[in-house]
Amino acid sequence: MKAFQYATALSPQSARQLAADNGSYIAGGNDLLGQLKEYLASPEILVNIKSIPGLDRIESGSKHWTLGALVTVARLEDHPEMAKVFPTLHQAAAEIGSRQIRNVATVGGNLAQHSRCWYYRHRDTLCLKKGGDLCYARHGENRYHSLFTGNTCISPVVSNLATAFAALDATVIVLREGKETRLSVAEFYQKAWDNPTAHNSLNQGDLILKVEIPTVRKHGAYLQISDKHAFDWALVSCAAAASVKDGRLSHARVALGCISPMPHQVAAANDFLEGKPLDDATVSQAADLILKNAQPLEGNGYKVPMARALIRRTLLRLNG
Amino acid sequence: MPSWPADTKYISHSTQRIDAVPKVTGRARYSSDIQAEGWLYGMILRSKWPAAKITKIDLQNALKTPGIKAAITVREGERIVRFYGEELAAVAGATKEACLDALRAIVVEATPLPFVVHETQARKEESPRVWPDAANASAGRARESGDVDQAFGECAVVIEGLYTTPVQLHHPMETHGNTASWGEEGVTAWSSTQGISSVRDGLAGALQMEHSQVRVITEYMGGGFGSKFGAGVEGVLAARLAREAKAPVRLMLTRFDEGLAVGNRPSSFQKIKLGAKADGTLHAFQMDNYGTAGIGGGGSSEGGSGSVDIPAPYIYQVPNTRVQHTAVAVNAGAARAFRAPGNPPASFGMESAMDDLAVKLGMDPLELRIKNDPNPVRQREYKEGSERFGWKQKYQKPGASAGPVKTGVGCASASWGGGGSGYTQGEAQINPDGTIEVRLGVQDLGTGTRTVIAVVAAEILGLRPDQITVKIGDTRYPPGPGSGGSTTCASVSPTVFDVCKRALEELQKQSGIADARGDNWFAACKKLGANPLLVHGKWQEGLSSSGAGGVQFAEVSVDTETGLVTVNKIVAAHDCGLIINQNTLESQINGGIIMGLGYALYEERVMDRLSGVLLNPNFETYKLPGLADVPEIQLVLLNMPERGVIGIGEPATIPTAAAIANAVANAIGVRVAGLPITPAKVLAALGKVPPSTSPPA
Repeated sequence: MKAFQYATALSPQSARQLAADNGSYIAGGNDLLGQLKEYLASPEILVNIKSIPGLDRIESGSKHWTLGALVTVARLEDHPEMAKVFPTLHQAAAEIGSRQIRNVATVGGNLAQHSRCWYYRHRDTLCLKKGGDLCYARHGENRYHSLFTGNTCISPVVSNLATAFAALDATVIVLREGKETRLSVAEFYQKAWDNPTAHNSLNQGDLILKVEIPTVRKHGAYLQISDKHAFDWALVSCAAAASVKDGRLSHARVALGCISPMPHQVAAANDFLEGKPLDDATVSQAADLILKNAQPLEGNGYKVPMARALIRRTLLRLNG
Repeated sequence: MPSWPADTKYISHSTQRIDAVPKVTGRARYSSDIQAEGWLYGMILRSKWPAAKITKIDLQNALKTPGIKAAITVREGERIVRFYGEELAAVAGATKEACLDALRAIVVEATPLPFVVHETQARKEESPRVWPDAANASAGRARESGDVDQAFGECAVVIEGLYTTPVQLHHPMETHGNTASWGEEGVTAWSSTQGISSVRDGLAGALQMEHSQVRVITEYMGGGFGSKFGAGVEGVLAARLAREAKAPVRLMLTRFDEGLAVGNRPSSFQKIKLGAKADGTLHAFQMDNYGTAGIGGGGSSEGGSGSVDIPAPYIYQVPNTRVQHTAVAVNAGAARAFRAPGNPPASFGMESAMDDLAVKLGMDPLELRIKNDPNPVRQREYKEGSERFGWKQKYQKPGASAGPVKTGVGCASASWGGGGSGYTQGEAQINPDGTIEVRLGVQDLGTGTRTVIAVVAAEILGLRPDQITVKIGDTRYPPGPGSGGSTTCASVSPTVFDVCKRALEELQKQSGIADARGDNWFAACKKLGANPLLVHGKWQEGLSSSGAGGVQFAEVSVDTETGLVTVNKIVAAHDCGLIINQNTLESQINGGIIMGLGYALYEERVMDRLSGVLLNPNFETYKLPGLADVPEIQLVLLNMPERGVIGIGEPATIPTAAAIANAVANAIGVRVAGLPITPAKVLAALGKVPPSTSPPA
């Protein structure tokens, strides 16, 4: 890695100033250290944000909860009420990496993490995402890649929390140009959909402060399938949340991870689910709507039936 | 003829590894822990081209990097590189960071050349040649017995299939490498090796030195699986750097390096045709197999046994057979011996074909095996293993279990040689204070060799294993074999037996005590006077034998909607000869099964067609089984003391993948004919994967 300066910020504003034009924020560092070692990122300064007061708070409320950007994934997993209030989030957190990783991984870092595409991560391939002129995956090994994309890059978002937050209709609050800016999960990843070199919509210096989650959805679930049974990235993940009363859905939202540069949500499917009985026919129709227009490549077509199974199962779990 | 004692206190019982405490407390010094006085880091610059003509390597900027003490090229002058990751140059410096910076400062001028990394492409005539003077595909001579074409006509049932296995990487937990240090007597290498003698010979050859000027030490090492017999390019570079820098150099490969140039198991594409009479008697077999050993294989690969050839029709006797193997060169790292070379792919291909045949015959696949396997020991294993497994209760017709998550069972078998190495020698030094040191020039690959030596010595001398000081892993000790071919235990145990018998005899003679064992030990030793007793011994006939079988049974669940395979249970029945130490034996079988499970479900070297690079050079993407993937394992051990000591390291891993693959096929009613059996392949086999919407690249 290239030599860098290191500074500790004590407020979001000072963090922003320290980061200047070419700095990176560091909290858990799980993703950033790997990028530094592989020369994928070469910031002039690392700004330690772990000492900023208040960013590690979990605040519960009747209308919504707020999670500070520094809350660790392990705390989401261990929080005594999380499994009851936000089972979607709780299950998504528990599937991330290994316990050692979850102990240091943060909410902000999980959302802001960069592509895991093996071409992007490889030191000796200059792919589209790194500013090259070719998406190797599109023509090469694309078993882990997207079924949907708005551009040529097919590297998918792999953040478990993003998938869960999307289903929970959470809002990401970002310090941008001195102001707190509220972004939906879709907005948070829109740029990655549009632009092959983007991983999310954050601009240089944008700092994730917290995530606000409405409590209106009383039921939730998250499921993923990986090649292995633990400590592996999802091939496809699915999060769903809704309120279920007398067997009927309201405020239902479904989001999928690892099949698109942003958590894959289909408004028509969410609309369709409103007021529907939670049964086999409903979940199958929802799956059809969500996976309509999927564009499988040579190696990732299996994600279509896998996603379909996960959508059905995740939704049916809302009954529980 | 010598013979093992019948009533034993330690042999065939369980002794905790005598080095368990040093290992778990970190006191054990592995090769990668060695810190010689004034040592430097060493690192290797590798080709980033899969094929290129290298015209110039400029080391000047590397030498100017602060902290760098030496920089060398692997070879002088122009050269051709033939795979991504081939070694070009190396540096030694005071810190890892200095070395990394220096590697980036080396200027390499190269002209990229055409390349091909996939064997399916490389075998085509129009593909770029890996070696200019030879076609990529070189077919061996077909081996034929009987009249195969006529015999297929005489069969009641014939099946055909293409069964494929990927290139598998060894990935021992400790990477390849060593610390090299020069002194007045020559060079000392603390090497992570499974063959201290072969590393000594390799270093001596490469450095043009006498064997006596090279000393290799391997106190503790973290696995090799067949890839760590030779000095290796990295070993020679460490020694050259150390000479140049006039300081010890520790050069251990990074995990990234480890996937590139230090061996692998060749792939196989086995086109099999198998026919039987109506009663299930095998009658005709034909196999056309090709695979890649990278840029080389066979004799040219270090350690040998890196050939693409696999034994066929494996454990079965078929009167009419025709077998042909074709080695296909590609621009990728060369193969090396890998735990039971040839056998796991052979077992996967043949045992898959056997199950497919059983389905077509309408026979229970276990019955088909019992009918056609001539080996009496495996016949016992089919019986005892299947009883423990509950085969009769569990076996159903393929795809017969209800619901989206289906269960299935499968079985497969192994055959291995093994046996002891006749040149193994050892010595014991008995001191007047009653301490005893047993010394052999072998190394502990991690299998428990050190403990085996202590157990045998303790048994013969009537002492406890913890009273035996075992000294191994140094070429200054009496010569011993490399740890490979499942031969170590059968080499070491008879040698220690002989050493200790002779030592005891001599001790009794010198002390005048008729039985110096056990309670009399210290009194007898005291009578030695001032000087210790040093006794030499060697491997003896009659205490070990070769030939091992093994049958494994697998039970799996397959989620037919997501494709996820979960292995629920493995029952492994293995003939173990005379068991020396039961818990390290069990540990080795467990390890073999877990490795076989990785081969079945997860492991695969992925090369990129467009760039020629290895795409999964780490444990994030080269997937190995973790604890959550490991099933319940039950062992049925056939203790057969009459056969003496035999090996278990290799047979334990051979049939696992085939048994799991057969269980998956039994669960879902269709075969996934290529390893690893990923969710993607399961869903494809079930016909659930939609076609690609984009044109093929």
